Amino acid sequence: MTDLAIKFESVGKKYRYFTLEDIHLQVPAGQIMGLIGPNGAGKSTTIRILMGLIHQDHGDVRVLGHRMPVEQVAAKWDIGFASEDMRLYEAMTLDWHMRFIRSIYPQWDAAYAQLLLKRFGLRAEQKIKGLSHGQRVKATLLLVLARRPRLLVLDEPTTGLDPVARHEILRELTAVMNDEGRSILFSSHNTQDVEQISDQITFIDRGRVIDSMDKEAYLDRWRRLRLEAPSGIALPALPGVINIRQTGRLAVATSNAFVPGIASAYENSGARVQTIENMTLEEIFVAKVEHSREEHEEVGA
Amino acid sequence: MKRSVVQAMILSDWQRHRTLLLLSIVSGVLALALIQVGGEIPFILGATLFFTVMIVFGCMLPPSNIINERKKQTLPFLMSLPISAMQFTTAKIVSTVGLFLVPWLALVIAAMAFIVGHRGGPQGIIPVVLILAAAPFVGFCVIAGVSLVSESEGAMIAATIATNTSYGFSWYLLVRNPVIRADMQSREIVWSREVLTVLSAEFAVIVLILGLTFFLQSRKRDFL
Repeated sequence: MTDLAIKFESVGKKYRYFTLEDIHLQVPAGQIMGLIGPNGAGKSTTIRILMGLIHQDHGDVRVLGHRMPVEQVAAKWDIGFASEDMRLYEAMTLDWHMRFIRSIYPQWDAAYAQLLLKRFGLRAEQKIKGLSHGQRVKATLLLVLARRPRLLVLDEPTTGLDPVARHEILRELTAVMNDEGRSILFSSHNTQDVEQISDQITFIDRGRVIDSMDKEAYLDRWRRLRLEAPSGIALPALPGVINIRQTGRLAVATSNAFVPGIASAYENSGARVQTIENMTLEEIFVAKVEHSREEHEEVGA
Repeated sequence: MKRSVVQAMILSDWQRHRTLLLLSIVSGVLALALIQVGGEIPFILGATLFFTVMIVFGCMLPPSNIINERKKQTLPFLMSLPISAMQFTTAKIVSTVGLFLVPWLALVIAAMAFIVGHRGGPQGIIPVVLILAAAPFVGFCVIAGVSLVSESEGAMIAATIATNTSYGFSWYLLVRNPVIRADMQSREIVWSREVLTVLSAEFAVIVLILGLTFFLQSRKRDFL
């Protein structure tokens, strides 16, 4: 049986204007899971439940084998958590924060902290209020990484960063995974960042997990077919094709389970397949969200 | 040796507020020095400054040490540490009350020493000074409790206004009490039933507020 770093089973949380519905999520140990969703999709709520900071209304959450939120203290010894809305004490220096964290965590790696200071171009004696946004994010990550957590939970860590800072942070996260026992849950609405480092991808929208699988599987299965359909030719509805948009003679079909037989079926119907294109994770995400919303609205109607 | 997270949090709160702590003690000592000058006006100025220091410090600590954690978004940083919501509450109550108690006790002891040192002066004023000094402590606990439970700046400001308004009225009622007023002029300290009742009530309210704060915090399901 594979060890799971994170396991959500039928987890739900109801607010007045938002409901997190029956979330099922599994992150195997040693994997990087990218949690992608639009703003307000429920990423932060999911992560806060994971951290034990808010209590789910129903369902079972296990993190590194600990039941959450009951065993959150034991779990958090091995979790490094950083979120976009997390701030450090502005009037204190980075060195003060490092000493504060070091006084708590026996596994604090002082040598690694010094290395990260250099790599991130930070000065320990500088007060937090004097740091730029990018430097603050790096300082927070330094404090998280140098405690050598088994699980990193990062909620939109790259939001608002310039490309260079984003690259530095993603490079460091990839380096962290050289230790195979480590796992990362990385939430973002920036699909490029997630695509760059993740092994597994979960799409979340309007409080529901709409898809979750291996990143390569996504990229392998999804295709966009550009078709030319002469007038009078009706494009058939095919299994594995989730969307067809037609403007005049030209049509674009999106497949989430592409096999060469789909192209043949269109050719046989009288259409001409102009191109079969790979899709980026962002394109897949947008297509998946739109399809999921349409499906959900049809069911609702 | 590694500290417990609660200890580390208390220590960090103290480190972050040491300037405010020092300022309050220095201001209180200055107030007592002003009284030492002698004369009616320095006495009134000094006594006013003395109680103002206690009240202002009691009003400044809860927003700085509790409300700002949410307002300045340092709460997620603290709650990412291996700590439960109740341990967080314990750390915040111990650090905030402790921070208040240091200058409060220092100033109360200094005031007592000052009165006792004035041989020939009315020692009967000591119970009244204790009652007066306990009031800002009660007010501080109300503001701190409301801040922790509500995590709202508006509720904290309302609690601050309510407590500050009540000081003048309660002190007025106190000096209108004939027994307490008569005993104030006494050369000896008199622990009358009235004095003990008021003091007991003040400390009972403090215990009640702190207990209620723990109880309400333990019922919270969402902490961020």
